[in-house]
Amino acid sequence: MADRTRLNWGWLTGIFSSALLSFAGLAGLSTAYAAGPGPQACVKCHEEQVDYYGKSVHGQKGNLRGPANAGECSTCHGDATEHVKAGGGRGVGGVKNPGSKLMADDDRNATCLGCHAGGSKRTHWDGSTHQTRGTTCTSCHTMHSKDRVLTKLTQPQVCFTCHKQQRVEINRMFRHPILEGKVACSDCHNPHGSIGRALMKRDSVVDTCFQCHAEKRGPFVHSHEPVNEDCSICHNPHGTVADSMLKLRPPFLCHQCHTPHGPVIAQVRGQPGQSANITGKSGVNVTQGRGCLNCHTQIHGTNNPSATHPTPQFFFR
Amino acid sequence: MTTSRQILGFSQTFVALAVAAAFSPAHAQEGGDIAQLTEPGSSISLGLGLATGDSKDRARFGMFNGLRKHDVNGLLGFNYLNRDGASGRWLTIEGRNLGLDNRELGFSYRRLGDLKFTADYSEITRHDPRTINTSLQGAGTTTPTVSLLAVPGTGQDLNLELKRKGLGFTFEKRFGDTLQLEVNFKNEDKDGARFFGKGFACSSNWQAVGACSGSSGSAILMLPEPVDSTIRQLDAKLNYSGERLKLSGGYYGSFYTNHNGTLRPTILGGFGNQNGGLQAANANLATTMGLPMALWPDNQAHQLFVAGNYAVTPKTRVNFKYAYAHATQNENFGGMGLTGAPGGRSDLGGVITTTRAQVGFSSHPLDKLHVHGDLSYQEKKNKTPIDLYNVFYFNAPPVTTGSFTNGNQSPKKYDAKLEASYKLPKNFLLHGGLKYESEDFGTFTPTEVAGGVSGLRQKLAETGYRVELRKMMSETLTGAVSYVSSRREGKSRWLRPFGLPATGVLEASADCPSTGSGATINPCVYRTTAIFPFIFENRNRDKVRLLANWTPAERLSLQLFLDNGWDKYRGPTEHGLRTTKSNNVSVDAAYTLSDNWKLTAYASRGRQTVDAGHSTGYDGILQDTATSLGVGVVGTPTGRLRLGGDLVWIGDKLVYQQMADPLASATNANFLMASGGLPDVTYRLTRLNLYGEYAVQKNAYVRLDFIHHRTFFNEWTYNWNGIPFLYSDNTTLNAQQKQSVTFIGASYVYKFQ
Repeated sequence: MADRTRLNWGWLTGIFSSALLSFAGLAGLSTAYAAGPGPQACVKCHEEQVDYYGKSVHGQKGNLRGPANAGECSTCHGDATEHVKAGGGRGVGGVKNPGSKLMADDDRNATCLGCHAGGSKRTHWDGSTHQTRGTTCTSCHTMHSKDRVLTKLTQPQVCFTCHKQQRVEINRMFRHPILEGKVACSDCHNPHGSIGRALMKRDSVVDTCFQCHAEKRGPFVHSHEPVNEDCSICHNPHGTVADSMLKLRPPFLCHQCHTPHGPVIAQVRGQPGQSANITGKSGVNVTQGRGCLNCHTQIHGTNNPSATHPTPQFFFR
Repeated sequence: MTTSRQILGFSQTFVALAVAAAFSPAHAQEGGDIAQLTEPGSSISLGLGLATGDSKDRARFGMFNGLRKHDVNGLLGFNYLNRDGASGRWLTIEGRNLGLDNRELGFSYRRLGDLKFTADYSEITRHDPRTINTSLQGAGTTTPTVSLLAVPGTGQDLNLELKRKGLGFTFEKRFGDTLQLEVNFKNEDKDGARFFGKGFACSSNWQAVGACSGSSGSAILMLPEPVDSTIRQLDAKLNYSGERLKLSGGYYGSFYTNHNGTLRPTILGGFGNQNGGLQAANANLATTMGLPMALWPDNQAHQLFVAGNYAVTPKTRVNFKYAYAHATQNENFGGMGLTGAPGGRSDLGGVITTTRAQVGFSSHPLDKLHVHGDLSYQEKKNKTPIDLYNVFYFNAPPVTTGSFTNGNQSPKKYDAKLEASYKLPKNFLLHGGLKYESEDFGTFTPTEVAGGVSGLRQKLAETGYRVELRKMMSETLTGAVSYVSSRREGKSRWLRPFGLPATGVLEASADCPSTGSGATINPCVYRTTAIFPFIFENRNRDKVRLLANWTPAERLSLQLFLDNGWDKYRGPTEHGLRTTKSNNVSVDAAYTLSDNWKLTAYASRGRQTVDAGHSTGYDGILQDTATSLGVGVVGTPTGRLRLGGDLVWIGDKLVYQQMADPLASATNANFLMASGGLPDVTYRLTRLNLYGEYAVQKNAYVRLDFIHHRTFFNEWTYNWNGIPFLYSDNTTLNAQQKQSVTFIGASYVYKFQ
């Protein structure tokens, strides 16, 4: 039974492959790897690296697509025969180090993309912000120690190497649970390229946010257009010092677009000079509590079809 | 002898105290302790953690980390790895924070290079950092009961929690050398209550039978939103990877289900006023406040897509994506508990389709030249039926009926980008780029009303450029300086929305045509008190950025980051958003004291400024200044002992400067003079995290963690100077301004193969 299953997979694979290869006008190409000394030679000087390699997915003989079945160390570092003969040394004998800044960015990336160009996550690496700014695979990934960028808990520390403002923001009062390892940068961003702004994981900011906040997708009877346009118009997802990660506190946030309750000025209860009679549409009620949202509660949109006063159009209910 | 042998048994697979591990940003520049990281293996950890104070002291510390509620917590975790190098089998089972309410379990089975299956379970509870004092009954249900609390602060304390439970599966399988199937499924249940509310101020303008019958009276209630919902996502892709063509096509579905339809409070008795007294009895206000609020309706979205790239030549690649999405929202109004829909309409029938297409290229026509470009198009078609959802009474008596519909605008976007990099002598790289973006928000639905905005625009276009000079390929110094500039302009006239009860918008040229249009100020539309939404205004955006990495000595590395950006908005008024500014500077350093000790440190300071003017009341300059400092150390004083620690300090100060403008009323001007405006908001965080690990035998160690977490948050959202913001039922919110928590954890970690 198992043999028959395997046979069927192979048959299906053949059909798919032939069709796609015909479309591409290509066939029969394969990656050639440099020959060279293997881990037995390299370990004499690079003990830590070879030790980890042997324990990593790269170093498993059973990994039919891995370096252990291609050229071992030389798969990534090139033929080190001359390097070994010369007794080692940085760059001596033409040995390659994709982690070195002395190697051209494209060459460093090509080392990894030789095996990792496939799949769905890297189709838009070429031309992406990271690629064009000189970020290389080894800027973020490590091959000879545990790759911190693959673990949610440690991944942000890698990203903060360049993204300093976000390092501060995730420590603010209102934030996503990034410090706790529950949300990682790659939950929202695809650092390998995407068609979305800021390397969004989905095709747009809103589609990315809807992954966890799908309730805001609607559509609703009464929509608030910025919600459909871009969540980051009002929110900073990396963290702020205002509730709900708002970029500014109401009413200042809302006053960037809206003019209602014109005579009202922001104030807090108990300030000197305050009117003794604090009415509904008062400076206090648009500033404290949830600010404007005290009444315009359904700010992301409401599906209330009622024509009864108060009309839901203003997101009251 | 490897480093991993020098340090007996230490491994990051010990994850019980992820709490501590999470708080280590000062190690950002550290490449990772190889000794710690190079020992894949299995481990189990058992321990206890003690936190000082009570749940109010821990409100900020324990917002997400599962340590808010209890003084003593079990610290349980394990990691099981079973690998067979010969067959490529790689099995892992992991558990993290099992004794806390943010526990995680993960299972992964891989046949390397062939097959992968993972299952993950994760919980997280968000504990609202504020404590509510209220007389509300049934908080968190769909039918809470509101009654006036006689004396503020004498009600019951209520802490809101929202729990998420996620279950995810991944399956990946390769078929031959070129095909791969990827399937991801995630189910997330949300349960609990979220901070929410309802408010209304009676007005002489809007009255209706059964609603406020007078022009006075208002109420603001804190009503927690009951949450009982599920989000499911299915992502299935078939990937082809040929020598030159990479192709990925598939389906992405997202489904939201809410088990609650409405929030319908019962109002008992009257309301208080903001001064702590009683409002006059107003039965119709109570009726209005008891009307049902719509909760989130179910919705679904399906997307089909194909994406890929193709190597046209060895030096030229193109990439592309085409995606079509169909999103619907058709939950039955009656089923949600909502009434009053237009005749014959039982649901919205909401349908939005989104088409996205993108094509890009990347080429090296010369060895020293890299060129890439990108074109993308997005079109949303809102096919939701139009209906008269608002038939209401205006100015009663005499009664005028206003009728208007929902809207179904369908925006389109076009983006284009062309960039090039050229390698200059002495390892410099010059990079330049141009961009063009345009957006057509679609024709405004003529039967709709746009409330609360002075103007709208249908079309915008933005052009920009970017230049960067980069120093590259030096082991000791790399750096880049860049300048980005863009100009956004309206490509259509401003539209003036009509005020109720009329609907639709008026072209500027048709508004008071006798005063002219175009360059001539049209007082009907461009009145001096107008505020135009900043997302439609003309905008100049500029930004300068500098990044440098320097390794002056083998043991020392430094990093400098600077950026300075400013946006200037231009609309046909002196009010609204005028400018925003942002500048940040950050310095990082890493120093290797010896083979056994490493130090890291950083200092950052950033400031964001917003300058805006309100229509008739004030000019506001809002400034947020954030300073952050961090130092970290990690060392191995002996082969059996490893020590580490971080100290992080963050200071965030927000200034809300309000100034009366010439149009300010005397009341506002006098108030600002008397009050001095809004108080500043200050947030400070100090966090000390120390840990030590001592190997008691080759395959076991004990770990001690010490965390001191101190915050100061002085703000006025719910409380100022001891005076609380009062909801109309005298509900109040509070949080301790100063919170200090010390956490001590001890664990025993046993390692095995």
